[in-house]
Amino acid sequence: MTDLTPITALGAETARMQDFGVLRIAESTDLALASLSLRAGQDAPTPFGLTLPDAGGWASQDGQAAFWTAPGQWMVEAEGRAVEDFAAALKAEAPGCSITEQTDGWVTFEITSERATSLEALMQKLVNLDPACLSCGTAARTGLEHMSVYLIRRSDTCLAVMGMRTLADSLWHTLATAAARLPSEA
Amino acid sequence: MLIPHPLLGPRDAQEFTYLGDASLMARPDPTRADAEAAFSDYVFLRDNPAGVHRELWFHEQGDRSWLVVTRDTVTHEILGAELARDVKLSREGME
Amino acid sequence: MTRLSGGLIDRDTTFAFRFNGKTYKGHPGDTLASALLANGVQLMGRSFKYHRPRGVFSAGSEEPNAMVELREGARKEPNTRATVAELYDGLVARSQNHVGPLKYDLLALNDLFAPFFAAGFYYKTFMWPRAFWEKLYEPMIRNAAGLGRLSMEADPDAYDKGFLHCDLLVIGGGAAGLAAALTAGRSGARVILADEDFQFGGRLLAESHLLDESPAPEWVAKTEEELRSFPNVRILPRTTVFGVYDHGIYGAVERVSDHLADPGDQVRQTLWRITAKRAILAAGATERHIPFANNDRPGVMLAGAMRAYVNRWAAGPTHKADDPVAIFANNDDGHRTALDLMAKGVPVLGVIDPRADAPQLGDYELFAGAVVDETKGRLGLSSIRVTQNGKSQWHRCGALGVAGGWNPNVHLTSHHRGRPVWDETLLAFVPGQGGPSGLIPAGAAAGNGSTAAAMKSGVEAAKSALEQLDILSVSTPLPKAEDDASVQAAFWHVPGKGRAWVDFQNDVTVKDIALAHKENMRPVEHLKRWTTLGMATDQGKTANISALAVMAELAEKSIPETGTTIFRPPYTGVSLSVLGGGDTGADFRPRRLTPTHHWAKAQDAVFVEVGPWMRAQYFPRPGEVHWRESVDREAKAVRAGVGLCDVTTLGKVDVQGADAGEFLNRLYSNMMGTLAVGKVRYGLMLREDGHAYDDGTCARLTEDHYVVTTTTANAGPVYRNMEFARQCLWSELDVQLISTTDAWAQIAVAGPKSRALLERIVDDFDLSNEAFPFMGCAELTICGGLRARLFRISFSGELAYEIAVPARYGHALMERLMEKGADLGVTPYGTEALGVLRIEKGHAAGAELNGQTTAQMLGLGRMVSQKKDAIGAIMSRREGLAEDRRRLVGLKPVDPASTVTPGAHLFAEGAARSMETDQGWITSAAFSPHVGSSIGLGFLEEGDARMGEILVAANPLEGQETRVEVVSAHFVDPEGVRLRD
Repeated sequence: MTDLTPITALGAETARMQDFGVLRIAESTDLALASLSLRAGQDAPTPFGLTLPDAGGWASQDGQAAFWTAPGQWMVEAEGRAVEDFAAALKAEAPGCSITEQTDGWVTFEITSERATSLEALMQKLVNLDPACLSCGTAARTGLEHMSVYLIRRSDTCLAVMGMRTLADSLWHTLATAAARLPSEA
Repeated sequence: MLIPHPLLGPRDAQEFTYLGDASLMARPDPTRADAEAAFSDYVFLRDNPAGVHRELWFHEQGDRSWLVVTRDTVTHEILGAELARDVKLSREGME
Repeated sequence: MTRLSGGLIDRDTTFAFRFNGKTYKGHPGDTLASALLANGVQLMGRSFKYHRPRGVFSAGSEEPNAMVELREGARKEPNTRATVAELYDGLVARSQNHVGPLKYDLLALNDLFAPFFAAGFYYKTFMWPRAFWEKLYEPMIRNAAGLGRLSMEADPDAYDKGFLHCDLLVIGGGAAGLAAALTAGRSGARVILADEDFQFGGRLLAESHLLDESPAPEWVAKTEEELRSFPNVRILPRTTVFGVYDHGIYGAVERVSDHLADPGDQVRQTLWRITAKRAILAAGATERHIPFANNDRPGVMLAGAMRAYVNRWAAGPTHKADDPVAIFANNDDGHRTALDLMAKGVPVLGVIDPRADAPQLGDYELFAGAVVDETKGRLGLSSIRVTQNGKSQWHRCGALGVAGGWNPNVHLTSHHRGRPVWDETLLAFVPGQGGPSGLIPAGAAAGNGSTAAAMKSGVEAAKSALEQLDILSVSTPLPKAEDDASVQAAFWHVPGKGRAWVDFQNDVTVKDIALAHKENMRPVEHLKRWTTLGMATDQGKTANISALAVMAELAEKSIPETGTTIFRPPYTGVSLSVLGGGDTGADFRPRRLTPTHHWAKAQDAVFVEVGPWMRAQYFPRPGEVHWRESVDREAKAVRAGVGLCDVTTLGKVDVQGADAGEFLNRLYSNMMGTLAVGKVRYGLMLREDGHAYDDGTCARLTEDHYVVTTTTANAGPVYRNMEFARQCLWSELDVQLISTTDAWAQIAVAGPKSRALLERIVDDFDLSNEAFPFMGCAELTICGGLRARLFRISFSGELAYEIAVPARYGHALMERLMEKGADLGVTPYGTEALGVLRIEKGHAAGAELNGQTTAQMLGLGRMVSQKKDAIGAIMSRREGLAEDRRRLVGLKPVDPASTVTPGAHLFAEGAARSMETDQGWITSAAFSPHVGSSIGLGFLEEGDARMGEILVAANPLEGQETRVEVVSAHFVDPEGVRLRD
């Protein structure tokens, strides 16, 4: 293990978390990411037993998950493995595929709320996507206040917003501002 | 505008970056004797029709697909959208 | 007080508000206009040109007259229509467009000079002498013009934006809109119902009709409640749908807290971008008036508006409660106003109707075949002259309701080249063919004016929309409603000698239109510009059709032959604040922070914006008072010891696949497929037109895995072009791309002691020149097991490396390098020193790769391989480009004390300064601590063959001339020994 101490995308030692009424926005720092692209003519593998989802989809199983990012390309997520060489682990699971380490390419904010409507109300202020694109088990990439983000609807009560790591401060600011402005009944 | 993405359904045009005439996909053969003239046409000459136009849009804030979108430049009606890669591969299959 | 009984106001609560410094009382549910009327205030403002006294004319957003400056201080908002300003406790408003008190406006003098202000006045008057324009005319016009005044303070409120999606957008919540929303809501469609008013109901709130034996507002309330109960329906009161855009996108502004004294934590307004599969335009209709002499006195208003004030707001239209009210109507609908006034106990003088066969609908005096043709009253109407059968008689009159028929609000249907068509029965333009697809007009907006017809048309429009969307519609029983067709005469204005106003806000009269006709400004477009008709803030909503009718009469043509008016967005004014939306100041746009940003901040770095990035520009140390002291120190430290610079901003693209090498061969002008594993090569990309585009490095990590870098500025476009090449040009190649810019923190470690420093952090890795030579790359671990990538590349010309680690470790790595290098004099350097070092070394950057230069010009001609094709290769050989003989050179001032200025052009000594004698230009310059003077890079004709020549660098903009010597662009280590050491 290295003796270098990592910092979060927001520049702190520990992950940031804040409640806004019924909404909670929590920075996730232990999520490992690696992209998986198929080589020409290759069939989709099943890394960690995951069936890679179709366009617009997100699938999870036993701490690993994957979402579709482009034709023939997925992002594979693994909880709690951010400091490992997860790309190498994925490569072993998906031989022949093009694997690229992406863990620190992104900052992930997990937004949770008991009420699905408040997640949707928040997104209405931020992204121009039909809520149908944000139903459970979907992942979409879109623009959010001039930033490119992935939105992953992990469950009725959880929506992850993944943005470029170097934009973490701006993304947090945007999310927090919108969350604070949501009327309490939302 | 809404771009009907063939895989993702209608998406707002703001997610896309516009390039122009889809003829840009037909890059001339550099080994042709008249390659320089062909490239000159390819780089500088475009049709600019008032009406149906096949054009390239990049889903920059999306799945990074290049699309060939058929659009009426007068009404902005969009008549179809295909993955440029599919268009390219099928065209090459025909050749 | 003229407050009447009933109305939809909450009398249990009383609001105090101030108008022109005087305090009045009103109630929740009032608008500023209704509250003023209820207090007997008729005079609310002055007209634009003649400063004529004006009162409220309408009861909605079409208002031309009653415009006020609402609120005070930074929140003051000029040109607010009192008719739509919702009353709140403590509201403060001032009338506008007058000098001195409203009642004694000094500029009322303008009215006496009215003959000089006729149509085309500006064009005719301010033509000459030309010199007068800037000094006299323009300041004078500017001083007199403009309606309200801005606060000149920054807007203190927050604005927001948002995105909504629905099956059906219903625009307007009156009879038709509510019926449509109810039908679609009950059918389960996703519905958005928007209305500009703060109460739903539209004209149902203004009329006295019953619905199923009950007052209409009861049905409205019940319907609204039902709609609110549907999870699939979203209700947006106080929301104006102002424009239709392509493919069913609608712009709307929700006035979230305009009705509050202070928005508090809320935003002031929200801009909604609504994507609707279908939309129903149920925007109702706007009443028009009948111009006659002096028809603009306060107290003269639209008859329908008068009904609204009486029924909805319980506000009488007169100054005093016992002043009689008259109605001037060319249609049956106008007569209703008399009935409603009488029902509220307002004294009614009678109904004047130009139709000889005008109906008598109630117990009021009817003047059939009669017109109102003159009025009196200085600050408010006091009497009217009625002419019947050639006989004129004056009558005492405190208010006059004018009913000239209704114009469907077709505005949104004409946003996509839709042209309204004339309906001879309705005597109005109704929505025509074309226009925005998916937008269905209904109700009064479609010419279905009666309550029953409007509701039915709303239901039908909803059913038709649902059918198109394959949604089964449930039947919606409607209440029984009036269904009277209003019979109307084509009576457009009362001819006469006096001035008859058509467009109140811009003071356009029938005479002005006649003059425009006489001066051949007949097409409506010319009429508009010549007279300024319809160009005020109300966009002529109450004026355009009357004007068209007058012009038609003069031209002896029909109205549709004369022309039509169409409308552009916005339907009503939209503030720039809400269009701008979002954040201001530092958060105006997203900012990318490098992985060492927080570290640099802690070192008191000065930051500079580089595109979206914030980069450390230099790191001042105590005692350094000028930025150049810091920059010189940093640059020298790199050449003498070792420096550290965060270079994460360079674009990084991961290129994999069996054909990755071949793919890169086609992208870069030079050969990449032959690069050995573990090696890096400098690469140049051309544009397809043959010009130099971008440069960077390609590192081959394994046989089928490259990592390429781009310049910071071009990271996005280059990636886009790479995807274009992959998908659109060479889709047969097996290659996969993904950006990894943010994933890795990359730090340049540069200087003769860089190896010594790195040796202290790598885990068991041989950094010797033999094991890891110049242009080597490797994946390794550092600091006890952290995966890293090391590239031996140099931008400074010194022995140098770039080391990349997962971004979260960038901060710690920087700290570690600083700590381990303390005894080596390790120095962080910013973008300024980076610039100095690269100029000293003659490396091209943005100023040289500016899109107008070629590889040959840059001295990189040999990098364009002749053995293979690549983007831009063919065109780089074309005539004109290949012959360009300008070359990158270094430039040094002859007098070391003088300065080389970028942008200066190069001339032979003694030559004239002209295009013909121009020899090139200077692209970059800096003070070089290494050379000891200012130095520059530039492009010079035959530059590579002119070393030692003395030229003049001329900067005529600043009257600067510097004698410069042409030298090699490599000011430092021209043989390139150091970086290979």
